[in-house]
Amino acid sequence: MAHETHAKTLPAQLGAPAIVDVLKMRALVIAAIFSVIALILALLGQAQDHLGWDHLLRAWLLGLVLTFGFAVGGLALLMVQYCSGGKWGLLLRRPLEAMSRTLPLVFGYWVVVAIFMKRLYLWAAVTDVKAALASGWTNEAQAHAIEFKRPMLNPLSFTCVSLLCFAIWGFYAWRLNTLGLKRDKDSADTTPFWIKKFENISGPGIPVYALTMTAAAIYWVMSLDPTWYSSVYGLLFLVGQGYQVLALSIIVVLMLSNDEPYRTILRQTEQHDLGKFTFAFVMLNIYLAFGQFLIIWSGNLPEEIPWYLDRIRGHWGIIITLDFIFHWLIPFTLLLSRDLKRNKKRLIWVCRWMIFAKAFDLFWLIEPNFKDAARNLHFSWGILEYAAMPVAMVAFWAAYFCMQLKTRPLVQTNDPHVAEILEPEHVQA
Amino acid sequence: MPAREGTYGLLAEFDTPSDLVRAAQQARLDGWRRLDCYTPYPVEEAAEAIGFHRNKVPLLTLVGGLMGLAAMFGMETWVSVLAYPLNIAGRPTYSWPAFLIPAYEWTILFAGLSAAFGMFALNGLPALYHPLFNAPNFRNGATTDKFFLCLEALDPKFDLVETRAYLTTFAPVSVVEVEY
Repeated sequence: MAHETHAKTLPAQLGAPAIVDVLKMRALVIAAIFSVIALILALLGQAQDHLGWDHLLRAWLLGLVLTFGFAVGGLALLMVQYCSGGKWGLLLRRPLEAMSRTLPLVFGYWVVVAIFMKRLYLWAAVTDVKAALASGWTNEAQAHAIEFKRPMLNPLSFTCVSLLCFAIWGFYAWRLNTLGLKRDKDSADTTPFWIKKFENISGPGIPVYALTMTAAAIYWVMSLDPTWYSSVYGLLFLVGQGYQVLALSIIVVLMLSNDEPYRTILRQTEQHDLGKFTFAFVMLNIYLAFGQFLIIWSGNLPEEIPWYLDRIRGHWGIIITLDFIFHWLIPFTLLLSRDLKRNKKRLIWVCRWMIFAKAFDLFWLIEPNFKDAARNLHFSWGILEYAAMPVAMVAFWAAYFCMQLKTRPLVQTNDPHVAEILEPEHVQA
Repeated sequence: MPAREGTYGLLAEFDTPSDLVRAAQQARLDGWRRLDCYTPYPVEEAAEAIGFHRNKVPLLTLVGGLMGLAAMFGMETWVSVLAYPLNIAGRPTYSWPAFLIPAYEWTILFAGLSAAFGMFALNGLPALYHPLFNAPNFRNGATTDKFFLCLEALDPKFDLVETRAYLTTFAPVSVVEVEY
């Protein structure tokens, strides 16, 4: 075919460019600065209302959920692209692998939550339900829910279920990562075998991920309010992880695109595709979030509606309105534009904004669970922790991610998509 | 308006999209403005090569979508608040969360219809006649596996002999003269 004549060739050097080291150093500096700020804020908060360390832990939980989303969400998207195929998948494969290899750090973050469980979770703190009710620590609904859900919500099952989930994610991350390297060492005639092999691992992995991720979301976040439940909660987190992982993937790919090998393999077509994919998750995210709200609002049941009232009344209405604007309206209206999706500079800013919006949404989900903040949004030094601790944690995570990114070549070569991605853009049908 | 007659243009046929894109880029560089590409599937680079410009379809879609939103939200508000107020489980008659879903559906519906019909209208469709279909190779190839570049007679640079020689330099499969 004539168009073969002006196909590009893969650069000889496929390793991560030097900018990854620069970014790693930058992330470490940010992490150090914000850790100090978080510590100061905790001390100030402690002096102000004795909630400084509690706020630090709540913000820590936000950081855990966010980095968990990157690591395990990255693992999930890695499995999805092995099953779906597509050139975008080849483009993201190594960054997603690197995300999945950050799981040990996320586990470390989780250990802190597990150690200080009693300060975060009401069901862990209350051992004697009757005494807690009598002293006014819990209300009747909470006392009933804690007692009724005791078989599920207790420190032992929290720990066991979380450990099991980490073991399963770890297994999939280890399997896909080691085989990913082995695949590149093999000759080209083994490609069909490897494609099948990865499909067979990833296919069952996706429902397993959905179940374990749901369990983690329920234990780590939903159980902060022991009285409340929502059957769409896991799906909401799943879509949220797609939202943040795609945003992060685009950032990574675009930041790498000034140097080889991404300068050669990143075409506008795939960048545009990733933008469209992200747009779909923005839509799906608001669809589920609003669906949950509409159903609970329509039902107006005393078991369910307080959760929303905690998050709307007492000035929280401002936060949920901003959340709607930040999390949906801004990315939605911007990503509608075809030109923006094809413009590197603008697309990367929208994706950065989306990660901030995700954190903002988690703030709205987490903070009103606590008695001092429910239906009462007020300023304290402690609440500023949400702008310090998660930044430090994500920055540490980013440094770790950069480290992982450097450990292997950025393009998987034993894949038929490599030839396709090197073709000019108009050869697409 | 009298029936147009004479030559519509010269149609060059190519086997691959790459050849078409290269020819189209060169023709545009050489000053051709009345030219068009015809491909069996969308080839974005070909559109860009001949100076793809903005059209009014996005605006029509936006206006259509906003009209759908306003129409449905307005209708629901009018029905529930003014025309037929009902007490449903003690909720306020102006229950905007419940109105959002149909209003959203109508936004999508109107936007989609505006985009589709707006695109047809701006394309000049339905057209019962187009001179290019006089070329047999176009009839057979344009929707299957051939790529065409047409330099139109309306372009001031057009000259039957010179333009044919010019197109031949791109090594097309054939160059056909198309009559109105």
